[in-house]
Amino acid sequence: MTTLTYIGKPARRVDALEKVLGTAKYIADRKLPGMLHARCLRSDVPHARILRLDATPALAVPGVRAVITSDDFFEHGLYGFPVKDKYMLAHQKVRYVGEAIAAVAADTPEAALAGVRAIICELEPLPGVFDMAHALDPDAPQVGPDRPDGKHPNFLDHLIVRKGDPLPVWEQCPVKLEEHYSVSPQEHAYIEPEGVLAVPTREGGVVVYAPNQSPFINQANLAMVLDLPPQRVRVIQPPVGGSFGGKDDIIYESSAQAAKLALITGRPVRMLFSREESLIASYKRDPMRMHIWLGADSDGTLRACKFEGLMDSGAYASESPFTAWRASIHAMGAYRYDACHVDITCVYTNNGYYGAFRGFGNTEVCAAIEQAIDEMAYKLGMDPIDFRLKNCLRLGDETVHGQVLTESVSLAECLTTVRRLSDWDRKRAEYAKQHAPSGVRRGIGVAALYHGTSLGAEGQDYAGATIAIEQDNSVDITSGLTDYGTGSRTVFTLIAAEELGVRPERIHMQRPDTDTAIESGPTVASRSTMLGGNAMRIAAMNLRQTLDYAAADLLGCELHQLVRAGEAYVGPSEEPVPWEEVVRHAREMGLALSAQGRWSAPRINWDHHAGRGTPYIAYHFGAQVAEVEVDMGTGRVRVVGLWAAHDPGKVIFPQGAYGQLYGGIAQGLGYALMEQVTFVEGYIQETNFESYLIPTSVDVPEIVGTFVEAPYSHGPYGAKNIAEPAMVPTAPAILNAIYHATGRRIRDLPANLERVLLGKDLSKGGSPRACKLGLGTA
Amino acid sequence: MLIEFTLNHRPVAVEAPPDITLLTLLRDYLNLTGAKEGCSVGECGACAVIMDGRLVNSCLLLAPQVAGSEIITIEGIRGPDGGPNDLQENFIAYGAVQCGICIPGMIMAGEALLMHNPRPTRDEIRAALAGNLCRCTGYQQIVDAIEATAVQRELLP
Amino acid sequence: MPRFDYVRAGSVAEAVHLLAEPGVRSRLLAGGTDLLVYIRHEPPNFDRVVDIGRVPELKRIERRGDEVIIGAAVTFTEAAESALLQEVAPCLVEACLTVGGPAIRNTGTLGGNVANAAACADSLPPLTCLDAVAHLRSLVGERALPLDELIRGANRTAIRPDELLTHFTFLAPPADARQAFIKLGRRNAQAISRLSVAAIGRRDGQGRVDYVRLSPGAAMPVPRRLHEVEAMLLGQAPSDELLAAAGRRSAEAMIAVTGRRWSTEYKEVAIRALVEQALRRVLV
Repeated sequence: MTTLTYIGKPARRVDALEKVLGTAKYIADRKLPGMLHARCLRSDVPHARILRLDATPALAVPGVRAVITSDDFFEHGLYGFPVKDKYMLAHQKVRYVGEAIAAVAADTPEAALAGVRAIICELEPLPGVFDMAHALDPDAPQVGPDRPDGKHPNFLDHLIVRKGDPLPVWEQCPVKLEEHYSVSPQEHAYIEPEGVLAVPTREGGVVVYAPNQSPFINQANLAMVLDLPPQRVRVIQPPVGGSFGGKDDIIYESSAQAAKLALITGRPVRMLFSREESLIASYKRDPMRMHIWLGADSDGTLRACKFEGLMDSGAYASESPFTAWRASIHAMGAYRYDACHVDITCVYTNNGYYGAFRGFGNTEVCAAIEQAIDEMAYKLGMDPIDFRLKNCLRLGDETVHGQVLTESVSLAECLTTVRRLSDWDRKRAEYAKQHAPSGVRRGIGVAALYHGTSLGAEGQDYAGATIAIEQDNSVDITSGLTDYGTGSRTVFTLIAAEELGVRPERIHMQRPDTDTAIESGPTVASRSTMLGGNAMRIAAMNLRQTLDYAAADLLGCELHQLVRAGEAYVGPSEEPVPWEEVVRHAREMGLALSAQGRWSAPRINWDHHAGRGTPYIAYHFGAQVAEVEVDMGTGRVRVVGLWAAHDPGKVIFPQGAYGQLYGGIAQGLGYALMEQVTFVEGYIQETNFESYLIPTSVDVPEIVGTFVEAPYSHGPYGAKNIAEPAMVPTAPAILNAIYHATGRRIRDLPANLERVLLGKDLSKGGSPRACKLGLGTA
Repeated sequence: MLIEFTLNHRPVAVEAPPDITLLTLLRDYLNLTGAKEGCSVGECGACAVIMDGRLVNSCLLLAPQVAGSEIITIEGIRGPDGGPNDLQENFIAYGAVQCGICIPGMIMAGEALLMHNPRPTRDEIRAALAGNLCRCTGYQQIVDAIEATAVQRELLP
Repeated sequence: MPRFDYVRAGSVAEAVHLLAEPGVRSRLLAGGTDLLVYIRHEPPNFDRVVDIGRVPELKRIERRGDEVIIGAAVTFTEAAESALLQEVAPCLVEACLTVGGPAIRNTGTLGGNVANAAACADSLPPLTCLDAVAHLRSLVGERALPLDELIRGANRTAIRPDELLTHFTFLAPPADARQAFIKLGRRNAQAISRLSVAAIGRRDGQGRVDYVRLSPGAAMPVPRRLHEVEAMLLGQAPSDELLAAAGRRSAEAMIAVTGRRWSTEYKEVAIRALVEQALRRVLV
């Protein structure tokens, strides 16, 4: 491998300066002259028919300029992918508390709220489904639409993996386990609540500023529901205050609402969510109930795995069919089995709705399977790391799906690395000797993961990038994939710098803009570095070829005689020629100083009916060890140490990669211990941050992280990804540590005070109160 | 009512209703959008500013409460040349910035800490940040940046 | 139209005059950390706020002989940084340091915390252990109430609409008594107390308990000392068995007041651990 100048070296995040100065303009910081303020009327019941909706009284409220309902959208604003089951504003029915029914634009936020309150909305409450376990009962209230295949209307999807038949094998296994696990919904809790700003254009179109992850999907949705040609719809992404999967669907709806109001009024329209509105109305990570069977030989060889999962999609499908698919692929963990069945059923209920969140199904199933694996290790009397090393996937292995792993497999190395870093063996022995039934006890636990890179067989996987040299010799780049805090702007900048042979400071990354970027699919699945990075690399290579050609012409030599010295070109004369001179010469030659790049992932195939195939082109591997202190008298858990060894392939932007690792671990810690979403009869009880708790700086320990770089040949410079996998093993590592400390196995997340102390959660009941207050907050 | 106070070392007088928060005064009346509205109930710290040398949540103060006080916002944290000061520069250098929405509040918390404790331990830094939520970074590199700044300031003549 | 007006009081006298003004509903504002959350969801039931946060008499922390005086507008940070309180009331200092986060502590006040009277208020257990007395002033005069008479129940006090809580007084505990405050929350900062315990204790030359105060927080609607537990400790050597028994007795005392609520199954176990831990810190 040639020596790299920028890739993998210390680098400055390209958009950090404006953020530390406080000059970065997020959506709530932007205002325009004549701007109106928009607010939605949202359902305060979980399931109802809309009997009467009369928005005209709102227009009589002083300051109100426009009101819209689903009738104002093409086909009532029906949208959604992969299932088109949601409306930009509710049509005929509402299916969850917080669903938007109408939207008002007014001169002030107070007038908008008054307008919302003036709308006549008569709802006929319908019985609801509030327990996913009963969603498919014959007499369950109907949440989802009638299905042409005659299946239950509350059935959404069923995903499978099939290898052999595990139950007969399991029956014969001398060591076996059959257990149930569950995970709670999780709220993204980005510190910036949702918001959009729509500006009408003179051509009868609209520009929407939206902190969405995927501006092109927003653009496509807007064009469809506004019945506008895509050329008249422009979506620009401002700096985003965190997303983690959460600023897609809900932002598309707000975008459509604000855009329609802007088109009607002819004025800019901004809609901002309060934190209560965000917690009540926006989608969350799906809760799941899981039933796992594992069987092994006495020598610790895993033989059989059967996994049954029930995933609640809430009121709408959102991404759940994809979440459930990824969950099914990863449900058995990164291990070899003779036989394995996975079945994940996805259902509708009236408990909010669920969609994408970092890890996207793997976070959910890993919390269960890595505990089950741990339980097997104890049954076998084996050290949990040794048990995983004995069974984990290695180079050349065939996965249960039927894919042979031919490169970039490093799980064993991640496990041995994290074993060493955490001083595992000494602590396992020492903490096992604790006998005091009360007081504080320490424990240490491990969890491993694998995480398929990018969209996998579920989608068309491609990306595009552009690069151009400006008049002042700065270099402009664009990508169709966006950076919402993840650092991809810096990754793309470094790749362009490396490939073009110029300093990163010379490169300027434009804001994501559907007018100037190339559509590249959604920015999800931790695919930006690989897909966007490869596209950027190709774009930069194409441009460099142009410059090389100009340099050869300028220096009067052959292409192969050129070398680079920093930014400068050097020919046989050994006189370095500054880059600017080469660029000037290229202009004089009339060469085009811009280029595009496009990259598609290798084609792979998954057979949904057979439950077999090649699900992903590559896998990220990792292992984490958590050390906890548990107060046996109160159930309080402190995480006092966290060690992580991950294989993201080649690390492009080290500081950014560590940042994603630490941040993911913090989210996993919250998932394990304190983040709880409680629905009571369809009403969420946690409506602001005093009740929905995320980890503070004194909850997260000092983290020791390291990267094991096993390059993937199709990744840019060998890179894979880090963003999502960083959080996936954290919760099970902590839960396994709690078991080691206490002998108490907590199979239901979060492991809150009550579960750790009593072995069960306690319910204080609940009420609609927090939702009603939150929806009415000024 | 007329609210008079010192803002980033300059006297200001703003005509504003008595029932708005300091956060609204800063963002909507003074066009200083560095302080952010993350939760409006004092739980996230994204709105934090420094009042009379102490970190406060501007969403939990009524605007008239600051009459006669000294308020520093992120817009007032600058180096001698008007660019980033040493703490802001270290936030960049140590990788403490991801999405950035919590960063103004974090920098205020860091400055407030160093005003009172110039030699904080990492645990003391974490305690000083405990009212500022971050969802991206896991806090570690933020602690690194503040620690490095404290050390560098101690070494200054 | 603003929802309410704002006036700043320069003195206690001015404040009580404003409170007594007829035809205007006044609401006292010290730090505002509770008030501003309240008005977010509920329309205000007052016409103006009276800001007493800078009234000098309300910011005192001083000692007169054995009596310690803390002004009602003293913030949690000011209390925690007070050398006097660190010396005579470390359990109160510890409690102040567990409230919210730094910004909340810099703004929130002890008077506000007590007057809001949340069952989980962190200042209540230590003030109760200290037998603190709350002083109220109105145009009519002054009165003093111990905390368990001031507080009527969750979020309810005996403070009249025309009264200003001006300060707390308590007698400094023996200098050689140790003090502790333990808070249990669902995370390590910015957390509402799930349960808490304040304790003060001392042993004599023979190792027997000769001074003990104990008060739990977030356990009962009205804060009080657990006299029945204190009684079983006095004159005894603090063995493991005795401390465990004290824990169990504390749980019984709590349930005698609250009955069995949804959280009792958890709290009756956890309070035993917290009481044992607190007593261990001050007596062992």
